Amino acid sequence: MVTKFQIVNRVREKRFFADEMTQQALADLVGVTRQTIMAIEKGKYSPSLEVAFKIAVVFECKFDDVFTYEIL
Amino acid sequence: MSFKEKSAWISLISTTCIFGYYFYSIFMLIGEPTEAARESAKDYLIQAVFLSIVVEIFFHAVLGLTSNKETEIKGDERDKMYEYKANNLGYSVLGIGVILSLVRIITLEHNPTWAEHYSAAQIPMQTAQILMLFFILSEIVRFSGQVFYYRRGY
Repeated sequence: MVTKFQIVNRVREKRFFADEMTQQALADLVGVTRQTIMAIEKGKYSPSLEVAFKIAVVFECKFDDVFTYEIL
Repeated sequence: MSFKEKSAWISLISTTCIFGYYFYSIFMLIGEPTEAARESAKDYLIQAVFLSIVVEIFFHAVLGLTSNKETEIKGDERDKMYEYKANNLGYSVLGIGVILSLVRIITLEHNPTWAEHYSAAQIPMQTAQILMLFFILSEIVRFSGQVFYYRRGY
């Protein structure tokens, strides 16, 4: 059986609570482009595990506080 | 728009315009005397390749001056993924083109009368033009694929 799913993230919210960190600042800390952060926030791109963990480390929280897996 | 996306747009537009005009010029040579047409075709090819290199270098240099971030210029994992996916699309078109060209060459080799019929069309260096057409098509598909993935997301 094929189950549809989507990866939901709270990167925008985490940036807001990190003193409104800019996309560029987060991109520099993670080592990707600003456009990639923007695509992740919009749900247009699912990052690799490495980048996803780096984002969680930047916000000093658990991985599943930022990324969750939702079955549709 | 990221550096890599702008780069894909530049390559897509320049390749389509320059080689579109090249193939139009080649098509216009039909009916010209064989020797003259062959010389013109050679000149058109040199001009198209030279112009393509100059345009790519110029626009990428301008683009490079406006992007000072190393990550942007080198590209990140998203850029690389879109590049791989677009390369696969382009490779498929190129593969089809090579197979069709091989089939054409072998078929004409075994049917010399067909070869005479095709030569009546008088497109100079026909096999080379067909291969060139598929190569350019594969490049256009590759750049279009990149632009598509950047626009739509994946």
